[in-house]
Amino acid sequence: MKKKFSKAAGSLVIASLLASVIGCSNSGTSNDPANNTGNSTGGNNTGAVSTEPMTLTAFFPDPNTTWNNMQDDVGKYITEKTGITLKPEFAVGDPEQKINLIAASGEYPDLISPKGTSGALIDAGALLDLTDLIEEHAPNIKAMLGDQINRLRYSNEDPSIYFIPSLEAIDQYYFDAGGPFNLQHEVVKELGYPKMRTLKDYENAIKAYKEKHPTIDGQPTIGLSLLADDWRIMISTTNPAFWATGAPDDGEFYIDPETYEAILHYKRPEEREYFRWLNHMNDIGLLDKESFVQKYDQYKAKIASGRVLATIDQQWEIDEPEATLKAAGKHERTYGHYPITLDETYKAANFQQTGFNGGWGLGITTAAEDPVRIIKFLDWLASEEGQILINWGIEGKHYEYVDGKRVFLPEIQDIRVNDNNRFKKEFGIGNYNLSLRYGDGVKDSTGNYYTTNNPEQVLEAYSDVEKEVLAGYGATYWKDLFPQEDEFEVKPWGAAWNIPVPTDSVIPVTQQKANDIVRKRIPEAILAKPADFDKVYDTMLAELDKAGVKKMEEEYTELVRARVELWSGQVTK
Amino acid sequence: METITQPSKPVDVKKIKSRRFWKTAVQQRYLYLMSLPFVIWVFVFNYIPIWGWTMAFQKYKPAKTFFEQEWVGFKYFQELLADERFYLVLRNTLAMSFLGLLVGFTVPILFAVLINELKGRFFKRSLQTISYLPHFVSWVVVAGIVYKMLSTESGGINDLLLWLGVIDTPIQFMAKETWFWGIVTVSDLWKEMGWNSIIFLAAITGIDPEQFEAAKVDGAGRWRQIWHITLPGIRSVIIVLLILSIGNLISIGFEKQMLLGNPLVVDYAEVLDLYALNYGIGLNRFSFGTAVGIFNSFVSIILLFTANGIFKRYSKESVM
Repeated sequence: MKKKFSKAAGSLVIASLLASVIGCSNSGTSNDPANNTGNSTGGNNTGAVSTEPMTLTAFFPDPNTTWNNMQDDVGKYITEKTGITLKPEFAVGDPEQKINLIAASGEYPDLISPKGTSGALIDAGALLDLTDLIEEHAPNIKAMLGDQINRLRYSNEDPSIYFIPSLEAIDQYYFDAGGPFNLQHEVVKELGYPKMRTLKDYENAIKAYKEKHPTIDGQPTIGLSLLADDWRIMISTTNPAFWATGAPDDGEFYIDPETYEAILHYKRPEEREYFRWLNHMNDIGLLDKESFVQKYDQYKAKIASGRVLATIDQQWEIDEPEATLKAAGKHERTYGHYPITLDETYKAANFQQTGFNGGWGLGITTAAEDPVRIIKFLDWLASEEGQILINWGIEGKHYEYVDGKRVFLPEIQDIRVNDNNRFKKEFGIGNYNLSLRYGDGVKDSTGNYYTTNNPEQVLEAYSDVEKEVLAGYGATYWKDLFPQEDEFEVKPWGAAWNIPVPTDSVIPVTQQKANDIVRKRIPEAILAKPADFDKVYDTMLAELDKAGVKKMEEEYTELVRARVELWSGQVTK
Repeated sequence: METITQPSKPVDVKKIKSRRFWKTAVQQRYLYLMSLPFVIWVFVFNYIPIWGWTMAFQKYKPAKTFFEQEWVGFKYFQELLADERFYLVLRNTLAMSFLGLLVGFTVPILFAVLINELKGRFFKRSLQTISYLPHFVSWVVVAGIVYKMLSTESGGINDLLLWLGVIDTPIQFMAKETWFWGIVTVSDLWKEMGWNSIIFLAAITGIDPEQFEAAKVDGAGRWRQIWHITLPGIRSVIIVLLILSIGNLISIGFEKQMLLGNPLVVDYAEVLDLYALNYGIGLNRFSFGTAVGIFNSFVSIILLFTANGIFKRYSKESVM
């Protein structure tokens, strides 16, 4: 379980982002085409497209048991509107092998979605460059991407666009905050909703409450508990250092927004101060003595006992024990999330946007007879009509407008909640995420959300205590307490942790060495006597230098710059 | 445990000169045929994979054929031997192995001897069964138990020490670097003691009862019987097992260390297998991982032959 650090690190950060969205993805629930052509956004030139019957072969890398050969409602509607029938093949077993085989055989389907295995297809020249097709025939896709279209380019050496991304959604919006500085509702309630902005505020609240209540339910109160079990040390112990100092999540690195220079984030002097604060917390006895020894199970058990006043962690790590607390009716022992930073000069950058990251999607192969028709088909799916269709289904049949608000018909909603497979198979909703699509929180021309996830659901999930505490701070959502998206610039390099690293680079090995050093020295520094803190921290920095971190940072800087260059459109053919 | 194992006497084989080999082979064709499947088995599963060692000398990339790989010679071995961390994990591996061998060998023998001295068949059997049950508990669970027992918050050991007045404040057992080897060794002992004693117990059962009777007639007490009959009776089993375990010293696995370890004790907890995993396969560096594997094999072979040689010389017992 320890073996895939770099990957685990990446997926963790993804997970943490995902987790800050309420509920799960909307893949199970999409909707249908409103026939409200009157509302359709500009450029939806469906009328111009021929609706002559046409069958497209396609390859998808994941099995789909709910695929109904387009005999579902949405599928029939698509065929009726566009004349297109898809004849897909779904991978059974290892898709990589199959895709390599397809690449080697030269017999391509019209459409292919190769996930991460695109290299072989591109080397074989199997994929069409979509740049001009999008430019000329796909006004909706173009409008959706805006100036982010460069983020679809393959690489600096080959700036072609091979895929229409379908995995990541456009303008995905996070409805709520999920950490990392969490405090029990009971604490702030009792102290009369004190200001919660800096580490000092946070510390004072924990301290005041602990002094007043040395025990909870007969067991000793724990001020702050951290977790350092394997990779979880990043989530609870090391990542909060950049959160508290106003930097966004770029994995183990900090990227200078001006020069794009990458350094290990531990090297930032302000982060040293964050760890010094943890050292101080340990010194005054507010930090749980078992923080760096306990395993995840012990940590969860402790939190579930309701006597840990504060945790510095992402919501998804404490979901389970919180559920236990809620089941026991101890809602006041669950946690609120506060935008804590080192001091007031920093702004918590939790909601700084990375912009669209491109990523996996559907490509058109050289075998396609009429690529223009295909791109128009994909463009139609990206139109407002298409987007509502794939997310909500068909008006009158699956959804209706109640006071201008789009809702599923009651019987459809019932099936959606209780029999999601039937929902997908019979109605086809959620099965046609083939083209570019909007993420949660994006509204259409009727003022409704494109996807079926919405902020009301977040609110419904709040407990009464939670609402009371939020009211105490004059907010509706936890997110309201945080600096909002528009206070930050969109990062031109996206999220640094998803920049692909070449396999023969020095980065993976040095990163592993750096991890080994950091994960040992940071706990040591926190537990050291305050007088020794700097000594340990300096030792860590010296060891990092010795492990060749400089070279890694240089290479990483190159990667970041290459991506910025690619995405800014400075690389063209 | 009930079967009586007799140290097998060497089969009375005539000294056959090599030119008569084929004649014998024909004579013993059925025996050869019977052993053939097992020879093939060993060949297929133990020898053919050695071909994979070539990876350590290549810059191996998956999905390329053998001939397309780039040869790099001893690059990965040099890298390995130049890494300070490697010596640290080697030290940890060997230290925990030797401790494990020392304790994990003497205690089960003692335990077997003591069980053997017990009267009452039912009691003896139950004791034996109870003692080897922990062997079937997985390390994940054992690590959980160890953690709980040593916890500063209502952990059994700390509570006991506090109650006895030995200490004033709970001890953070798991945070003490230098105690880690001991904790691993003791928990391993708890888990495997009963199981390891089974084979010695079986060997003891195999000792001819007449010897004990004769000793009793000569006036030997319990202690003298143990010293002069029981222990010498299982001597060859002890030595064979000891030599074999020495060959396995370096491959002690990593579950215990990984499950019991934490960031504070990592310098004493990381072992070779974990290192190979983290820096080899974990980073898709198949070649480097293979180099570590080859190094392991060589160290094991050297240890095995040394141990075998020493015992052959001084005790006339050996596995080869």
